[in-house]
Amino acid sequence: MNSIIEVKDVSFGYTRQSTILSNISFDVPVGSFLAVAGPNGAGKSTLLNLLSGSLTPKSGTIRIDAAPIESYSTKSLASKIAVVRQEFVPVFGFSVIETVMMARTRHYGQVGFESKADRKIVNEAIEATDTAQFAARPLGSLSGGERQRVFIARALAQASDILLLDEPTSFLDLRHQVDIYDLLKAAQSEKNKTVVAVTHDINLAAQYCDHIMLLGGYPAGAGAPGRHQSEGNYCVGRTRDVFSPEQIEEVFGVKVFSGEVGRERFFLPLGRFAKDYRGISRT
Amino acid sequence: MRQLLTPKKLIVRTLAATILLLIIVLMCSLIGAEKISLRAVLGGAGTAEQVNPDYEIFMHFRVPRVILAAIVGAALACSGVVLQGLLRNPLADPYILGISSGAGLGAIVAVLSGFTWTLWGRSPIAVFAFVGALGTVWLVWFIGRLTGRFHVTGLLLAGVVVNAFFSAVIMFLTSIAKSQQVHSTIFWLMGNMTEEDFLVLWIGAGCVLAGTLALFYISPQLNALSFGEEDARSMGVNTSKTQMVAFAITAFVTAVAVSLSGLIGFVGLVVPHGVRLAAGPDHRQLLPLSAVVGATFLVVADTLARTIVAPAQLPVGVVTALVGGPFFLVLLVRYSKRVNWLR
Repeated sequence: MNSIIEVKDVSFGYTRQSTILSNISFDVPVGSFLAVAGPNGAGKSTLLNLLSGSLTPKSGTIRIDAAPIESYSTKSLASKIAVVRQEFVPVFGFSVIETVMMARTRHYGQVGFESKADRKIVNEAIEATDTAQFAARPLGSLSGGERQRVFIARALAQASDILLLDEPTSFLDLRHQVDIYDLLKAAQSEKNKTVVAVTHDINLAAQYCDHIMLLGGYPAGAGAPGRHQSEGNYCVGRTRDVFSPEQIEEVFGVKVFSGEVGRERFFLPLGRFAKDYRGISRT
Repeated sequence: MRQLLTPKKLIVRTLAATILLLIIVLMCSLIGAEKISLRAVLGGAGTAEQVNPDYEIFMHFRVPRVILAAIVGAALACSGVVLQGLLRNPLADPYILGISSGAGLGAIVAVLSGFTWTLWGRSPIAVFAFVGALGTVWLVWFIGRLTGRFHVTGLLLAGVVVNAFFSAVIMFLTSIAKSQQVHSTIFWLMGNMTEEDFLVLWIGAGCVLAGTLALFYISPQLNALSFGEEDARSMGVNTSKTQMVAFAITAFVTAVAVSLSGLIGFVGLVVPHGVRLAAGPDHRQLLPLSAVVGATFLVVADTLARTIVAPAQLPVGVVTALVGGPFFLVLLVRYSKRVNWLR
């Protein structure tokens, strides 16, 4: 299968001495759904910023649709990649439809207005995210879940091949978490979008994603199945291979109870004072 | 409920506001300490022996002053809009990044130097203030860049620090200056409208109009930037270019306004908020409407300044603050719930 994102030997650190990501290599096939999971501070958001082009790797290459990411202009990269960042509300109250329409900014003509085609794309995005009923309301008046759907609508309206999302379901209740994942899955299967989401929801990720990247948390070179032993502390693979109880426990440093729903496992983290802490079978 | 802006709506609203402005300009030109009538003004200049006094007052005193107020008001309101958007800060105004203290420093240096030449009809105070304003903005921008590519907090703090430092220098210079010199500096700093040559007015109007048009041209990018640089960039906006262009034009237009009339507060803060609350935050509409509303606001304020205590005059800056403050509070309380503008 063709890879739309190719990451090869990428290292990054925020200062000259420090390294937060070292020698990361992975490919994301066209039209697949990859979740990036891992403990806080492992570099998940950093990786996302590298993929979106807002950070430049210290070494290594990132290729988007077979071309190096630095060969794209800001404008042309925007037609490849759309990003949904962690919730941010602008100071001044733009309405939902104005916000979604902004995704079309780079297509505006000389006079600075959208075309009929832009309106059609925006309406489709609003339709797909079920945000039409509050399209005229200001962003600030929406709940967190509604607002997240608006930002996904904006990313869809960008009509890019790739969607990058940074913790799209944080602060959302169960219903809204599932809504968001359904939305992303629909974008993947109906529009053939490639989705990369940073997430702490390993259970939802297991249910919705094709591939998982588990980042950080254990020393490089330690042996475990599915792990790129020689290439630093991360592993990429099919959900079932990456999400084993041993690996989850090791990466996150917590005891988990795990079971199986059907094809996929689920994990329940239990701390020392949890009621059923003793019930966890030790490996 | 707000619908998307269309070119037709934009043109209709801007035209309507402009017509209102023209009517107010005409009315304000007829009001003043000396009573004149429109009928007499329309009678024309008269002959060399028998000049028409109404026409003389109208054309040589009232109209230039009203036009000057309109130019300065439009410039300050536009700068306010853009700086509030760029810095994503509702408290931003045209002076927030050190322009006021830079201009003030230029003014007092000009007064102390004792120069008496003029440049295109401008006094040394105006020329020095213009240079001081632009120089300070450049300095703040330069310091701000040291803190990051376009670090909003760094830029704001640099503005605050430079402002404080230059204010100290101004106070130092004031304390060693003669009282007559201090008086003319302070009077200038308070913001004043005077009757200018038409040449000065056309140059000023040209600068402000060109600046406003250029800002309108990049207004879709300014909209995207309201969501932060990262978001704007991922939507395909060349953020560093947009920011630099917007910042440079704003500084230039504000410096022009300051060199024409000194420091007039509140216009650049109140007018953008008023227009935003009434018509929404879309810069494509916000910019032209704010320019027109800002012009109207300052024309009215200046008319008040020269009539309330006639034949004496108030500094127009006093009037804008006295009128603008309460007016702003009313707007804030009335609309903030409906529009959720602070969230």
